[in-house]
Amino acid sequence: MTLAPQPQPAAPASVLDEASLQRLHELDPQGANRVVERVLQAFEASLTRLLPQSQQAFQQGDHEALRHVVHTLKSSSASVGALQLSQYCGDIENRLRLQQADGLAQRLSALNAEGERVLAAVRSLLP
Amino acid sequence: MTVALPLADELAAHPPEVLLVDDDEVNLLLTAMALRERGFRITESSGGEHALKLLADWAPDIIVLDAMMPGLDGFATCRRLRAMPGFENVPVLMLTGLDDDASITRAYQAGATDFFVKANQWSLLAGRLQYLLRASRTRIELERSQAKLARAQDLARMGSFDWRRAGPAGSGGSLMLSAQGLRVLGHSAGDHVSVRAILRLVQRAERRSVLRLLQGVVLHSSVLATDVPVTLRDGRQRIIHVEAEPEFNEHGHGVGYTGIVQDVTDRRVAEDRIRHLANFDSLTGLPNRRQLVWRMERAVEHAHRLGHACAFLLIDLDRFKIINDTLGHAAGDELLMEVAQRLRACVRHSEQVMEGALEAVGSRAHRSLEAVGRLGGDEFIALLPEISDERDAQRVADRILEVMRDPVLVGGQECFVTASVGIAIFPRDGSSVADLMRNSDVAMYSVKSQGKDASAIYSPQLAGQGREKLELESALHKAIERNELVLHYQPMVDVRSARMVGAEALMRWQRGATLVPPGDFIPLAEESGLIVPLSEWALREAARQARIWKNSFDFDDAISVNLPSRMFERSDLVDQIHQNALAYGIAHRMVQLEITETGLMKELQSVIPSLHQLKDINVEVAIDDFGTGYSSLAYLTTLPISELKIDRSFVRDLGVTPQSSGIVTAIIAVARSLNLRVIGEGVESLRQMEVLHRLGCSLMQGFLFSRPIPPDDLELWLQQTVLPRRAPWIGQANELEFGGPPPRAAGGRPY
Repeated sequence: MTLAPQPQPAAPASVLDEASLQRLHELDPQGANRVVERVLQAFEASLTRLLPQSQQAFQQGDHEALRHVVHTLKSSSASVGALQLSQYCGDIENRLRLQQADGLAQRLSALNAEGERVLAAVRSLLP
Repeated sequence: MTVALPLADELAAHPPEVLLVDDDEVNLLLTAMALRERGFRITESSGGEHALKLLADWAPDIIVLDAMMPGLDGFATCRRLRAMPGFENVPVLMLTGLDDDASITRAYQAGATDFFVKANQWSLLAGRLQYLLRASRTRIELERSQAKLARAQDLARMGSFDWRRAGPAGSGGSLMLSAQGLRVLGHSAGDHVSVRAILRLVQRAERRSVLRLLQGVVLHSSVLATDVPVTLRDGRQRIIHVEAEPEFNEHGHGVGYTGIVQDVTDRRVAEDRIRHLANFDSLTGLPNRRQLVWRMERAVEHAHRLGHACAFLLIDLDRFKIINDTLGHAAGDELLMEVAQRLRACVRHSEQVMEGALEAVGSRAHRSLEAVGRLGGDEFIALLPEISDERDAQRVADRILEVMRDPVLVGGQECFVTASVGIAIFPRDGSSVADLMRNSDVAMYSVKSQGKDASAIYSPQLAGQGREKLELESALHKAIERNELVLHYQPMVDVRSARMVGAEALMRWQRGATLVPPGDFIPLAEESGLIVPLSEWALREAARQARIWKNSFDFDDAISVNLPSRMFERSDLVDQIHQNALAYGIAHRMVQLEITETGLMKELQSVIPSLHQLKDINVEVAIDDFGTGYSSLAYLTTLPISELKIDRSFVRDLGVTPQSSGIVTAIIAVARSLNLRVIGEGVESLRQMEVLHRLGCSLMQGFLFSRPIPPDDLELWLQQTVLPRRAPWIGQANELEFGGPPPRAAGGRPY
């Protein structure tokens, strides 16, 4: 939260896929529209909101709400290059659709842990 | 980039408006940016509810919906917007997850146009949107063009159909009719109509032949084009044009037909009207010459082939020209219409327009040719396509004569018209229509010359007379313009003073080397109406001669011109005489008119006005052939006439039969009491002159004094006979000392 822009982007590199970020840069090569910044800001807001929602839905046993959360998170995380997170989301979404609830708690906590790491990485990229 | 150029162009010209709906801000942002980059105008919406709110007063070109959204998801949103008016056909692209087959199905069920798997491949998404937009535009154009076509077909009362024949397994054939096609056949759009049901619309009389035609066409897989009369379910009778081409499968077998049905009733009505105008007389509604000739030709063909007889009856009205001249053309037309009605009732008249081949089949087909038609003017023809012998034709002729004898009411006035009917029978009286028509004409003329109001069947003996007469008539037409007509003059004398007191002009026709006597052409002229121009010429010529004589020997009496009664019925008679007098500078009284007693009495009422007008301008009128026409003496007292001419038959018998002198005495008495001059005609002998003079008539005319002679001869006659008082009758006349009416000529003149 207090991360200042660092000259070394070592940490995000392992969490966020470099190629994906590069594609974002290509949307706005000169940076005139601050595309990367706006996308990352939107993602940061979304992730901040959705991670607690996933916990909440799980605790309430609302699998439908949980499926929505992971579905949304799946595509937006893929967009910013959080591929591991996107994969966790896709996995849970699939299992929920097939109603395979076993191991859901562990998978969800893994997702949340990854989510926190992504959040930290994103924040490190934001001004 | 395979779509780069056209895509960029299209987008630059009309940037498409896209509504992008996604609950995920990141995706929304990214997709929006990517599409904007590619020339779309993006409106973002974060959910279904919000999107529907936007659509309440705005219509994008395309809508992109995320399938999975909290609240109103993509499917529900799509369903809702499809229900909104105006959004039935807007392209909707549903964004679904990978491997999400269920969503794809649901997307289509919800009314989405297409689906797209969510990914960050923006170019693919942009290409898909462009494709959908194009498809949508094509669809709109197609719908517009279909609507235009439907409208055009409606206007042309045309629709299309597609018929598949029954399969070999006996599975029933199928008929598809466009909405317009259904309308043409009197059904509503959406009705299912079978071939059988359509055949039931065909008018019963035609059904069998239509069915036969259809079977033949289908059997040979030939092109179908025919007009079919139908009675629609609401009872309207229409004519439907059906035109179709066969369709073949890959083996070359006919599998059905595609084509059009068109309501051509109006066109057919117009065509029928044209055909009717071309074949029927517009005044009477009867077949005209063209149609008649066609029918006659067919009748002759049939009669020839089947070995029976047929008959042409040429019907010519006897007094039509007089009625037309005196009552006017409108009355003439009225008369012709009535006559047409009556004639039509005399045969089994067939109204059908006939052209091309005789449509009906069978050996009795020619009977439908039977008709009465109008050849022109007052000439009609009754065509009897089959008779067993000439008595059949005679019976029809008798019927025609009978119906014509009833008076016809024309312009509120009763007219009597009779007809002369000439009959020619095939094959006896000719083998061609032209021969038969000519011979019926000959027969008709023979009736005319024998007093009219009768019929005659052609015989070769008639031919000579008829042809001569025809030639005479056409020659007479040209006689006036060729100056072949001349007037000869027979002097009238007063035997008491032995002076000429006037001259009667008598018409002669110098036809080549022969001088045709009036008896040979005046009746013909009367019959053909030529008498009118002949009389007008005579009036002019008499005025001219009066002028010449006035110059050469101070002639100051009158030249008498014979006029038929119909001339007196003409309103321009007085004017003509006036013009002639003016033109030649003579007094009106120098031309005197003669009308026969018979002619006068027959048309008395219509002649009287002219007589008064003539009297007003001092033109005197004599009654010719007096004593033969049973005049009512009561009429004589009121008529403005000046002279009675005793008929030559009474003069001839003077001194032979006592009755004749009794009649002459009576005529002279009547003339005296009415203060009319009286003159004896046809005086050939001194004895007749003597008796006539003794009875009180000193004015005479006849061979005794002079035959009718050319004008120059008359001068000679005056100089050589009258002036030297050399003729036998002069000495005789001087010895008679009877009184009489005062001589007409003023005394003292040298002739």
